[in-house]
Amino acid sequence: MIYLVRHKTTYSYEAPVEFARCVLRLTPQSSATQTVLHHAVTLRPAPHQSVERCGAFGEHALTVIIDKPHRVLVVEARSRVEVHAATMSALMASSPWEQVRELSCSHNELGPTGPASYLYPTSRAPLASEITDYARKSFSPGVPIIHAASDLMRRIKADFTFDPKATDITTPPQVAFKARRGVCQDFAHIMISGLRGLGLPAAYVSGYLRTIPPAGQARLEGADATHAWVSVWCGEGIGWVGFDPTNAILVENDHIILAVGRDYADVPPIEGVLLSNGQQDLKVEVDVIPEEDVGVARMDSRTG
Amino acid sequence: MALKPTYAARRRDVLPPDAAERLSGWLRNYRPLSGTPDELIDSSGRPRDQWLHFLGHFAEYTEGEFRNRFNMATRHIRDTGVTYRVYGEENERSWPLGPLSLILDQNDWAQIAQGVEQRANLIEAMLQDFYGEGRLIAEGALPAAALTGSPDFLRAMKGVKPVGGRYLQIYAADIGRGPDGRWWVLDDRTQAPSGAGYALENRLVLSRAFPNLYNTMNVQRLAPFFDQLRKGLAATAERADPRICLLTPGPFSETYFEQAHLARYLGLMLVEGEDLVVRDGKVYVRTIAGLKRADVILRRVDADFVDPLELNSASRLGTPGMVDAIRSGGVAVVNMPGSGLIESKALLGFLPSLCRRLMGEELKMPNVATWWCGQPRERDLVASRLGELAIAPAFNRLGEDPLFSRARLTADLSSGDQDALMARMNDRPCDFVGQEVVRLSTTPVLRDGQLVAAPFVLRVYAAATPDGMKIMPGGFCRTSEQADARAISMGEGARTADVWVLADRPVERVTLLASKEDVKVRRIMGLLPSRAADNLFWLGRYLERAEATLRLVRSLCASLMDSESALHGAGETLAELQELLIDWGALEKEALGGRAVDAARSALYDEAAVGSVISLLRAARRTAAGMRERLSSDFWTLLLNLESRVSDGVKDLKSEAEALQQCEGTLHLLAALAGLAQENMNRGAGWRFLDMGRRVERGVNTSRFARTFARSDATIDDLDLLLDLADSQITYRARYLVGLALPPVRDMVVLDPYNTRSVAFQILAMKDHLAQLPSLVEDGMLEEPRRIILTLATQVETAEAGRLDPDTILGLERALKRLSVAVADRYFLQGAKAAPTVKLAGLA
Repeated sequence: MIYLVRHKTTYSYEAPVEFARCVLRLTPQSSATQTVLHHAVTLRPAPHQSVERCGAFGEHALTVIIDKPHRVLVVEARSRVEVHAATMSALMASSPWEQVRELSCSHNELGPTGPASYLYPTSRAPLASEITDYARKSFSPGVPIIHAASDLMRRIKADFTFDPKATDITTPPQVAFKARRGVCQDFAHIMISGLRGLGLPAAYVSGYLRTIPPAGQARLEGADATHAWVSVWCGEGIGWVGFDPTNAILVENDHIILAVGRDYADVPPIEGVLLSNGQQDLKVEVDVIPEEDVGVARMDSRTG
Repeated sequence: MALKPTYAARRRDVLPPDAAERLSGWLRNYRPLSGTPDELIDSSGRPRDQWLHFLGHFAEYTEGEFRNRFNMATRHIRDTGVTYRVYGEENERSWPLGPLSLILDQNDWAQIAQGVEQRANLIEAMLQDFYGEGRLIAEGALPAAALTGSPDFLRAMKGVKPVGGRYLQIYAADIGRGPDGRWWVLDDRTQAPSGAGYALENRLVLSRAFPNLYNTMNVQRLAPFFDQLRKGLAATAERADPRICLLTPGPFSETYFEQAHLARYLGLMLVEGEDLVVRDGKVYVRTIAGLKRADVILRRVDADFVDPLELNSASRLGTPGMVDAIRSGGVAVVNMPGSGLIESKALLGFLPSLCRRLMGEELKMPNVATWWCGQPRERDLVASRLGELAIAPAFNRLGEDPLFSRARLTADLSSGDQDALMARMNDRPCDFVGQEVVRLSTTPVLRDGQLVAAPFVLRVYAAATPDGMKIMPGGFCRTSEQADARAISMGEGARTADVWVLADRPVERVTLLASKEDVKVRRIMGLLPSRAADNLFWLGRYLERAEATLRLVRSLCASLMDSESALHGAGETLAELQELLIDWGALEKEALGGRAVDAARSALYDEAAVGSVISLLRAARRTAAGMRERLSSDFWTLLLNLESRVSDGVKDLKSEAEALQQCEGTLHLLAALAGLAQENMNRGAGWRFLDMGRRVERGVNTSRFARTFARSDATIDDLDLLLDLADSQITYRARYLVGLALPPVRDMVVLDPYNTRSVAFQILAMKDHLAQLPSLVEDGMLEEPRRIILTLATQVETAEAGRLDPDTILGLERALKRLSVAVADRYFLQGAKAAPTVKLAGLA
């Protein structure tokens, strides 16, 4: 499946911004499950300097410096990505979860693709005994890891309410957990926290979800903005498997991966530091459309 | 043949009888702990020679003299600030110093120095591999998860070559002597080792208090080490004559005073994150002359905090873009961010095998036996010895439950806590290590006149230099107040001791005179950072405002005591004074019309009033604390005296006379401070900003006084008061024999360029200062502060007293205030172009 992705972010500032230094993580990576066919990022105003490099977690990171005073900053990323993930099933054979825990502790891959980096708590996905105990119910002794993680994912979907008003970008997972409400980011952090509480390696994935579902299917939550889900290392042969707790589905061909980190703080699509005195206002528009539907979608494109 | 008497016997022979008695008493009652070695008493139960010499010397002082000497030296140190604390305010946790040093002989020291040097080199090799090729992990020398748990494993640094080639520029090891008499490493310090400044300070106290002893015992000097440390720092830079900065988390940091001291001693520029900016892959200091390159940054800020953009986004201590600058080789940051990784206890167990693998030799100084529970065999071993091992966190993560973030014996825990710990270790074994419990050796300390054995930990420092690792011959020794020798119970309530490493023969008198080729003659200290300029300017303003407030209070009390003016009904004048105090925030509105003594009490002591004298002096001291490295110790001491003179003053003022006395005394100290600034500060930009702050404030205040008390309908009382406030009584009386009249008073207070208190004098002084300061752009155009001051100067130079009216004076006052804003905009961080940074985020 080939997707066209358009991701436009508009910042409006109360007072002129004299100087901005930003890191953009808006370029999807090619991997075993997806191939980036085309990609471009444009900024208005144009940056004085822009440097592309490979980020700490293997993501494409673009550092831009804007030294012209401006009141509006528009960042637009367009990509054409082919997704060719394998079909996944919760019933797939996998190792017992305790064995995965043991393996990830002794693993000898230090880089971002190995499990070791995703074992430990982080600021946005800290350990919390109540979340660990919640997760534990899906992890009876000897259960295959994919089976157990799928069960946890489904329970989160069933027990939690999608509610964009309940949380914001800074809400700690313990708070969202207690309220049983939140958005994709909260659900991902809760699931990661629970898995790590049991000593399992879990990563945070930032990416996109197709905007319009195939005919006859319900529209998925999180389709009108960037999406977030969880990737779990399931042992040497299988490697990383994506779990989307917001929609209770295993990640296959509807998800496009932008970047993978330990939590949101490792891979925000845009972050920056500005010299300015005033407030800022943010608007995000995302369209993810299968190439064959382009004609239809243009007329129905929605913004978030 | 008679045996040569031992040194100890000789020593005791030559001691005066009462000293010998005191020494014997100490030794008789000295009880080392059983089962651990002691520094004073050797394994055969006899006191060691060097200790006898040392203690014998102490014994020669009477109790009183001994205490006196030590206290004098300690007080000097406290006054000059390393262990400064003020009751009830931002307490600095200080390490109280004990009078007895830890004494180490050549043999001991050689063992320590070799062990520490090898370890520093080993750690450097480990870091080179972890952040470089990564062969140790890939080849299975240790698992990846033993690194990734550390918040200081910085992925952003992977593959980045440190400028200067090294990760570890400064290393410290916490060591203790084990039961077998050998030294053991308890902890490695690789992030930003602290305490070296304290060690320096401790040495200063001891060598001042007991100079003879210090000189006869052949104590190795510390100064050469610091000289080498500095050379090592300079050598990491690309440029020949690099600017080296010490990056501090700021005055609220626990060890700020140590940092300030070190910066001053080493001649480094003390900067905070916001003093720095990154442009085009290089780091610059914001100075009053614009951006100036920072070549080397010795950081005391944890690595995760150095760049809020790429590392911890919650950091307020760092500089956005710093990681970019490091990546592009534009700055040497030492220790290289990421070096703190080594402090994880998870790594300790791997060190013996890593040493064999990387260095081809055994560890010369072993570390405490440690097993990381992330490995199945080690975990089982720890489980089987749970009762006897200490359980400690494998990594130093912030924000952990205290139960899991400290080393402890399970036996010391409640059963509930034990269960919680076991459950957590079961879920996440990789978060824990088991450690052999170390029993520390003891060293004598003096407690209540008795010699007592105290367990101790010694921190030893190593610095990388172009000629290899250099070890500081001494260290930072902490002695425990408790008799418990287990290393894990060290911590709160510790004291420190100086560490004397004895040489075999007399030490050379080291002069730190550099060779002629090394030194370039300079006359100013270098460029003034914007933040320091800001602080100095405000320090000047606070001090001047305090002085003006004191003068108001003094006049308030004095005019009442003067019976003649009381008869004239000075009620109006009194009310004017009170109104001024209210305007300045020194007095509540409700106080208007109250008794003078009440107003005086409040204006002097009311801590809730922002404009009271005590509040102003506190503000001055706080401002000064943020740039301690720039103020002489005399200045600082006087500033502290000033504050305590007011805060310790008699609060319960009963009469105007008492208030008057307090004002006079405080004014004298302020005058001393002003004199010190005038005579003892070199005429660099720093002095100019301090003086400009004072001048602007005095100019504004004097204008205010003049338009209040020299109105067209001013009474004799008013004019008299004005001359008091402007400290111009004597001058006036000498010059004008006719008595008080409006035009001459106005002229003297506002326009007279020879009167150091006049508005004109302040303006002309500022004009001179501004002319001497650097401009940002050499385009021949005037910068805003100079534009304002030149206009003002012309105005006061050409004005005539006869035509001077309150409106004109108000104009001067307003222009001076504009000038103050213009100075801030041009020279300080808070200028419009450098508005506070805002984080751009959002789940886009």
